[in-house]
Amino acid sequence: MSDENKSCSVPPPGEPTATPSTAPMWIIVVTLILLFIGGIYFDRNSGWFNAKVYSPYASAENLDACQPQSGAAAFIARGKKTYEAVCGVCHGPDGLGKPGQAPPLAGSEWVIAKGFNRLAHIPLMGVAGSIQVSGKDWNMNMAAMGAALPDEDLAAVLTYIRNSWGNKASSVAGDDIKHIRAKLPAGAQPMTHDMLMQMPE
Amino acid sequence: MKTGISVFVATFVALGASWCGFVLAPLLQLGGAKQTVVLQTTDNWPLQRTGAATLGLQVYRANGCAACHTELVRQTGVAFEVLLTSAGNNPAAVSNLISNLKLAGLTKEEADDANAKITAIGGKVETRLTATGADIARGWGLRQSVAADYLYDQPVQLGSLRAGPDLANIGVRAPDLNWQLLHLYAPKAVNPNSTMPSFKFLFEVRKIGNAPAPDALHLPKEFAAADGYEIVPKPEAIELAAYLLSLKANQPLYEAPFSPVTAAK
Repeated sequence: MSDENKSCSVPPPGEPTATPSTAPMWIIVVTLILLFIGGIYFDRNSGWFNAKVYSPYASAENLDACQPQSGAAAFIARGKKTYEAVCGVCHGPDGLGKPGQAPPLAGSEWVIAKGFNRLAHIPLMGVAGSIQVSGKDWNMNMAAMGAALPDEDLAAVLTYIRNSWGNKASSVAGDDIKHIRAKLPAGAQPMTHDMLMQMPE
Repeated sequence: MKTGISVFVATFVALGASWCGFVLAPLLQLGGAKQTVVLQTTDNWPLQRTGAATLGLQVYRANGCAACHTELVRQTGVAFEVLLTSAGNNPAAVSNLISNLKLAGLTKEEADDANAKITAIGGKVETRLTATGADIARGWGLRQSVAADYLYDQPVQLGSLRAGPDLANIGVRAPDLNWQLLHLYAPKAVNPNSTMPSFKFLFEVRKIGNAPAPDALHLPKEFAAADGYEIVPKPEAIELAAYLLSLKANQPLYEAPFSPVTAAK
């Protein structure tokens, strides 16, 4: 019995023993590289668990870009793009304007007016001086931001702002802008409130 | 057992982690699924099934249809094509340009590029999107199946084996109730190569009374009942056929878009 105990406590030479040792550095490095690659793959292909994103589409942006557009929807999407590049800086992507800088377009009586003649003159000629928007007085200057835009693009922008953020008004065609542009008042003076009110709606 | 607590904790963590992955995560992702709308319309999708079709889902389940049929259209990609809708003021230049451009089977970038080139010289185009994949090439649907399609399925019977064709769009592919009933009674009567078993027990052989029943099957001679008898579907057969007719995957959704076949005008 005492012999057996002795043989248990002292392992014979050649038996494996467990000793604490650190993990090799290369395993840690390889694991971190794999995690990094996996992270990139996940970011590009998972859609971030969005319930609407299914396999050939890699992300919500990708799915949005692939939505078929025809006719009016495509025209409004084109207007939105131009609006965000040209107008949205001051009037805001939400059309709410900026206090002291640009009046709101959402719900503005100038934007949702029955006709778009006065509205079209604002980007084509610019505005100077005091102007009433949604019952508030705005005293600022706007340059003729739309004068350099092609007719179709300006029409798309006007159609977009007349049909977004709760606005609901008729759409504007490129030919309408062409006609308005042909009959602009002489001189490059910006419009004033009175001048706008004098022209047909 | 000294390690009892740690075994318990380890088991709890392992089971808890798999519960989170298999139950909680899908619930958070899809548990709030609601009826959605067909793309570019205000039509609801999917529609609640009629009473007969709802009962038919249980007949489908009871007869093990899902053992040989799937209800899942797969999609592997998307293809764009650019259609000229108006040549504008310079038709010669536009026709010259489009004869040198690839206009079908494009990626999104190629389609945008072709669109920009044609628009730049005054033409007007429409970009169309189609779903691609083996299932779609077989005519089993116009787009892939998505979670919304199964909103009113209880239980969802996706199936995992395709001894027969996929049925996600069978209501569009075979929209005739009589064809469905005939096919259930004698699959070889409508498709000689069919390997589907006959579901004769969903039908009743009856002696013809004063006049043949209006819903009796019109079968080819070799499948017909004996003289003086007729074959009439039981309620289960009618319900199953109504369920099959309710299976559709032919409308574009936000999560599975494609351009409708007839252009909106």
